[in-house]
Amino acid sequence: MGEPTPKIKILQGALASDLSAATYQIHDESHTLGNALRWMLMKNPKVEFCGYSVPHPSENHIHMRIQMYDNLSSLDALLKALSDLDDLCVTIDEAYQKNLQEARYERWNEES
Amino acid sequence: MATAAAVDPSIVRIREYKKDHVDFVLENVDLAFANSFRRVMMADIPTVAIDLVEVETNTSVLPDEFIAHRLGMIPLVSHNCEEGMRYTRDCTCLSWCQFCAVELRLNVACNEMVTMDITSAHLDVIGPQPGSQNWNEDDGGEEVSKRGEDFGHTLGKNDPDTPPVLICKIRKGQELRVRCIAKKGIAKEHAKWSPCSAVALEYDPHNKLRHTSYWYETDARAEWPLSENAKEEEPPRDDEPFDYLAKPNKFYMDVETDGSLGPQEVVMRGLAHLQDKLANLILGLKTAGEDYVPEEPAAANGGPDGPGAPAGAPAGWGGGGGGGGGGGGWGTGASPGNRGGGGGWGTSPRAGGGGGGWSPGGAAGGGGNAGWGGSNASPPAGWGASGSNASPAAGWAASGSNASPAAGWAASGSNASPAAGWGANGSNASPAAGPGPGWGASGSSPGGGWGASGGGGSGGGGSGGGGSGWGSSSSPQQGQTNGWTT
Repeated sequence: MGEPTPKIKILQGALASDLSAATYQIHDESHTLGNALRWMLMKNPKVEFCGYSVPHPSENHIHMRIQMYDNLSSLDALLKALSDLDDLCVTIDEAYQKNLQEARYERWNEES
Repeated sequence: MATAAAVDPSIVRIREYKKDHVDFVLENVDLAFANSFRRVMMADIPTVAIDLVEVETNTSVLPDEFIAHRLGMIPLVSHNCEEGMRYTRDCTCLSWCQFCAVELRLNVACNEMVTMDITSAHLDVIGPQPGSQNWNEDDGGEEVSKRGEDFGHTLGKNDPDTPPVLICKIRKGQELRVRCIAKKGIAKEHAKWSPCSAVALEYDPHNKLRHTSYWYETDARAEWPLSENAKEEEPPRDDEPFDYLAKPNKFYMDVETDGSLGPQEVVMRGLAHLQDKLANLILGLKTAGEDYVPEEPAAANGGPDGPGAPAGAPAGWGGGGGGGGGGGGWGTGASPGNRGGGGGWGTSPRAGGGGGGWSPGGAAGGGGNAGWGGSNASPPAGWGASGSNASPAAGWAASGSNASPAAGWAASGSNASPAAGWGANGSNASPAAGPGPGWGASGSSPGGGWGASGGGGSGGGGSGGGGSGWGSSSSPQQGQTNGWTT
C-alpha cells in the first residue's frame, strides 16, 4: 500500500448507481465526527436512512451509510450536513462569545 | 427531532468562569453534538508535554521509568500551541529543534540531612539554544514568535499561589539529573497531552428520559441525591407519564483544565477543531480523492448507467460533471468527447473514437498504440502523457492488452476529476517515477494526480505519524544516558 489512504471513499458493496444509497468510508475519524454527522444527516427530511459504525476499533476509520428518498444524491446530503454542522459550530461560537461579553458570572482574565 | 436550533438565542449560557474551569449550559443541540464537543476538547487539542527523558543520574529511590512517566504528566504552559509549535513528524529537522520541541533540565542534589522534595519548580527551560546541536538554522519558521514568554515552562513558576508538582523525594547523598524534551501532541495519543483534567457533561438530571436506571435498596429517589443541575429543570410529577419521544435538549458542561491551556482557549479550540474536521472532510470530497472502483469495471463503465456522474454531484465524484452520464469511469470527465471508444474500458456511448480505450488525451503519448495512449489530442493528456514521459516500454502505454492492467486499475481507482485525474497524474509524474514504483510514486509528485487524490491535505500518514514517538524512544538509549519515552 504505497498510496496514501483517501480521506473518504465510497464502498462498492451496496451502492446505488445514482448514489441515492451509498456507504462512505471516512478515514481518520471516529465517533467524534460520526455521531454528530449522522445526527445532522438525519435532520434532513430527504434522508431515508442514515447510520454510522466503527467497523473495527483498531482500524482508523468509520463507515457512514446514507440512503435517500426520491433517488436524490447522498453525496449532496453529506455535503449539506457537513456545512450545516459547520454553521452550528459557528453559531455556538458566537453564542458563547456573546454570553461571555455579557459577563454574568465570576470572571477571571486569561492572558493571551 | 423537534429541536429548532438557532431559533432560541440562548444556546450557550455561561454560569461560572474561573481561572481553571468554565461552567456553561448548552441548549437546543443534540446529544451527539454535545458529546462530539466534549470528545474534541478532551482528546484533540494539542498541548506541550515532556516526551523524551534522558536520565544522566538517578540515585533516588524511584526507577528511571517511574520518574520519566511522572515528568510526562506535568502540565506545561501551552498557550497557542496550535500555531506556536509543530509536530515533530511535520518538522524539517532531523530529531528535534526549536520549532517542534522545548528542552528542559532538572538537576537537583541533596546535601543535607533532610528529605528534599524535587518538584516541577526545579524544571528549567534551557533550549534549544541558537547554535546548539538542535538549533534549526535553515528553517525560517515563524512558530517561535507566536509563543508566549513562558511557553513550555512549568505552571506557576514564580507564583507563590500555585504549588508545584511533586516529582520525587530524595535524602542526603541522592541526586536526580535529567534532560527532558517536551513535544507537541494530542491526548488521543497519550493522555498527558490533554489540556483538560475533566470535562463534565450532564443532561436530564431527573432521569426523565430513562437513559439510565438506578440501583437501589428500597427507593431510588431517596437513595440517589440530585445533582446541582437538577435545579435548572422541572422535577417530574408523580403521575407524569413517560414521554418516550422526548429527546435531551439541555446539556450542562463544565470544562476544567490542568492549566496548560485556559478554559476559554480549550472551548474555542475545541469548536475550531471540530470545524477543522468538517473542513478536512469537505476537502477530501471535493478534491476528488476518490477511489471509485466498480467491482467489474468493464461492465460498470460501459453500462449506460455507470456510476460515473450522479446527478448534480459536485465536482470530483465519478468523473466530475462532464464525463458523467454514460461513460463515467475511467476517462477524464473534462472532455467527454475525447473518450476513447476502442478499448474495452473506455467504452462509451459518446465514443471519442480513439484507438485506446483509456486515454482521452494522449496526443503526446504512445500514439495510437495499445490501450493507454489514446489518439485523441487534448493537452491535459491522460495516459498518453504518461506514455510519453515514461519510456513507452515501461509505462502503461506499453501494456497493450486491456486485460492485464485491469487489476492495477482496480487497485488505483477510477474516477478522475477534471482537475486531478489520470491526466494530471501522468503528466506530473516524472519520467522516472512513471513506470517503476507505480502510482504510489506518482502520488508523491507535488499537487499531482494521486497525491492530491489521496487527500493529501490531511497530512498523508494521518495519525500514523504517531509512530515517530516510538521510534525515537530508542535513539537516546545509545551512549551513557538512558532514554525513556514518558
